[in-house]
Amino acid sequence: MMRSSLSAATQLRLALSAACVGIAALCAGPVSAQSSDATRILSIGGSVTEIVYALNQQHRLIARDTTSVFPEAAIKLPDVGYIRALSAEGVLSVAPELILSEEGAGPPETVAALQAASIPFVTIPEAYTAQGVVAKVLAVGEALGQQQAAQALGDQINQQFAQAADKLNGVTERKKVLFVLSTQGGRVLASGTHTAADGIITMAGGINAITAFEGYKPLTDEAILAAAPDVILMMDRTGDHAIDDEAIRAMPAFMPTAAAQTGAIIRMDGAYLLGFGPRTAQAALDLHAALYGG
Amino acid sequence: MIKAVDISVTLGKRLILDHVAFEAQAGQVTAIVGPNGSGKTTLLRAVTGDVAHKGVVSLEGANIAKMPAWELASRRAVLPQASTLAFPFTVIEVVRMGQQNGSSGGFEPIAMAALARVGLQDYANRFLQDLSGGEQQRVQLARVLAQVWFPVVDGMPRWLFLDEPVSALDIGHQLQVMQIMRDFAQAGGGVITVMHDLNLTAMYADRVMMMSGGRLIANDAPAQVLTDDILSRAYNCDLQTNVLPAAGVPFILPHMAQV
Amino acid sequence: MTALSEAPRVMDRMQLARMAHLWLAVLLVLVSVASLAIGASGTSLWAALMKVAQGQTLTQTEEVVLWDIRAPRLVLGILVGASLAVSGAVMQGLFRNPLADPGLVGVSAGAGLGAISAIVLGGLLPASVAAITGPYLVPVAAFLGGWCSTMLLYRVATRGGRTSVATMLLAGIALGALSGAASGLLVYAADDRQLRDLTFWGLGSLAGASWAKVMIAGPLILLAVGVATTLGRGLNGLAMGEATAHHIGIPVQRMKNIAILTVAAATGAAVAVSGGIGFIGIVVPHLLRLWTGPDHRTLLINSALLGAILLLVADMISRVVIAPAELPIGIVTAVLGAPVFLWILLRKRGMVDM
Repeated sequence: MMRSSLSAATQLRLALSAACVGIAALCAGPVSAQSSDATRILSIGGSVTEIVYALNQQHRLIARDTTSVFPEAAIKLPDVGYIRALSAEGVLSVAPELILSEEGAGPPETVAALQAASIPFVTIPEAYTAQGVVAKVLAVGEALGQQQAAQALGDQINQQFAQAADKLNGVTERKKVLFVLSTQGGRVLASGTHTAADGIITMAGGINAITAFEGYKPLTDEAILAAAPDVILMMDRTGDHAIDDEAIRAMPAFMPTAAAQTGAIIRMDGAYLLGFGPRTAQAALDLHAALYGG
Repeated sequence: MIKAVDISVTLGKRLILDHVAFEAQAGQVTAIVGPNGSGKTTLLRAVTGDVAHKGVVSLEGANIAKMPAWELASRRAVLPQASTLAFPFTVIEVVRMGQQNGSSGGFEPIAMAALARVGLQDYANRFLQDLSGGEQQRVQLARVLAQVWFPVVDGMPRWLFLDEPVSALDIGHQLQVMQIMRDFAQAGGGVITVMHDLNLTAMYADRVMMMSGGRLIANDAPAQVLTDDILSRAYNCDLQTNVLPAAGVPFILPHMAQV
Repeated sequence: MTALSEAPRVMDRMQLARMAHLWLAVLLVLVSVASLAIGASGTSLWAALMKVAQGQTLTQTEEVVLWDIRAPRLVLGILVGASLAVSGAVMQGLFRNPLADPGLVGVSAGAGLGAISAIVLGGLLPASVAAITGPYLVPVAAFLGGWCSTMLLYRVATRGGRTSVATMLLAGIALGALSGAASGLLVYAADDRQLRDLTFWGLGSLAGASWAKVMIAGPLILLAVGVATTLGRGLNGLAMGEATAHHIGIPVQRMKNIAILTVAAATGAAVAVSGGIGFIGIVVPHLLRLWTGPDHRTLLINSALLGAILLLVADMISRVVIAPAELPIGIVTAVLGAPVFLWILLRKRGMVDM
């Protein structure tokens, strides 16, 4: 009895949800691209906001999301919340004519409601590579009707990347870099592959010390030893949560590594280092300089 | 009439009740007595369906195991040895709970009358948990009474099953509660009660069932059951009835109380 | 036992509780109107009603804000608040403990595991399947997870047609630990974006309200809550223990079946559409017991009303306080609920111990 009622309920739910998705799909419709002259723009995602500023279009911005913290002027804009947990009415309350967003804005119901309100919603594709950054710049430029400026900025960024790539040629022995996201409670949360950290390390001519997994995951102490990083890369933290270099070097897992022995601990601003926006080429150069000098 | 045939109960590997059979008549107070562990309470719980058992218990010819809860509730009420209460209900709310589901329906004055019957009419709006143990036991009795307020309905007797209803009471309230049983039986209802106090049993019971070692060893009028021989056998010590103790030691018999 | 002398004289609480039905219903209407009128966008309900009355058409923004955003959110808030509070009251009655909540029958752990699985493993689905499940993967998985784990516990605890509440409690702890471990494993596998999704899901929100969600969850919640409110008499009897409940005419086993199924359905559906929202299920029945007494015949209906009211109020706070962004509602209910709860415990310690 129990089993049959369960499966009946399951079927009903699946049928209903399928129907509802159908309805949602009808509502969504194609996003209009004829909004390149919009003057009230909501920018979601730190890199997108940076690009808008880099294209000198900040006068058209009316709001941002929580991750948009550069340049400093952006912080003064109203904050509509975290990219994955946007509130439909909150977004509507700033009355945007165009929404520019990194990939992954949500929840889907909010995006559906915004589309129902006929607000153009442009998603900028994400990729942790040099081409990816340039593609982002061009996509934002197109959405803003600033193709030429975007092309110029893209060229400039390409040039910087080329410069970085040039420098790589001079490197004979690449350094193994361990990106540490946090050391909360003595547990080391480090970056594997397919992350922004992995991307910037590669661009700067380093080798990610951890290739065994994707994303950010806690490492065992012995895995750190096995990874044997030459350099530890961390984000700058202001405030009391920052752990100082001495403390890092004193952690048993780090102590025997070359990085701790030589004190090779590099700290860079998180948004700058991992943002994959217009400053990324410069960040790669900076990181390169920090790794190999000059 | 309550008729129990061949009632056996095993808990684990132990035989608690060994093929017990009896009949109890409406209009009488039937007391189940016996030493600790003799199976008194288990017998009552088998009869009320609270413990898994072999054999059949019938109420006016109908097998109670086959009767739905609501029908049983309208024909018999059960007072357990100890009651619990999970939330802060007031006294009158507890009494009403018995009444709502019993044969006396939602007739409001019954709950108050039942409370008055156990002498607690002034406690109606107190929280049950604020009362003493004996008072709580009387409130539970009032709840049970409210459930089968009329001893006979449409010619059919109602039944009270009580498990040591006077155990927590002082002597005055013991007599009061025994009188309530008596009156209920006199009005045509049936009462089956587990008793510890043999004097009260002798005074108020019409029939006495003596349990010993899981067996029913005697079932008759009090004078026939409460004898030196049967008592000594059941309680495993020499007992003498109707003999005055040595001079100088006071003894108090409920028989002499004036309520 | 100083409480003995100063025990409040309780008037006929039944009448008080019936009056409470009326008060709470009126309050719910007021709060509902406020919920439609208040929002970050500054769209005015009154102006829109005026336009409609005069036969003018609404602007697209007005229509979207009022009809597609605030209205489904209002309905979903009422449904979720009512089902959380009623489920809490039913569980407390069933387990005879004022601190019981639907988590005890495994709904929350199962729903959490379902949601986490969907968030983390959803990306692995083939595109064709993903196209069908779409945004409803997480709620559907949460509901199924909750439902399945409750049924599992129920099976474990039922022997020979009798469900042991104590066994269910213990098995629930074991199952909770197991699904906690499974969730942990999935959390380990999750990427950082999924981790943030998980965190937000756990904090609960009505931000994802849509008519589609109302259509899916609404009938189920209405049915479950409706059935649950008929359990009052049985739960009252159960307060005196299962044996006594049976003796006063309660079909105990059938009542347990209904209670567990309705709670699994109502909580499962509520959690599925709103994520984890705490405290409503404990605070609401408790407040009402202090106000109108523990009689479940009125407590369940009042819980539905007050639960809906409190969740709507919490939702209004959540969407206004840091507008245009939004605070997860679970944070608001905990911030509101926890101090109130502590205050009750301190003031009425005697009553709570009962």
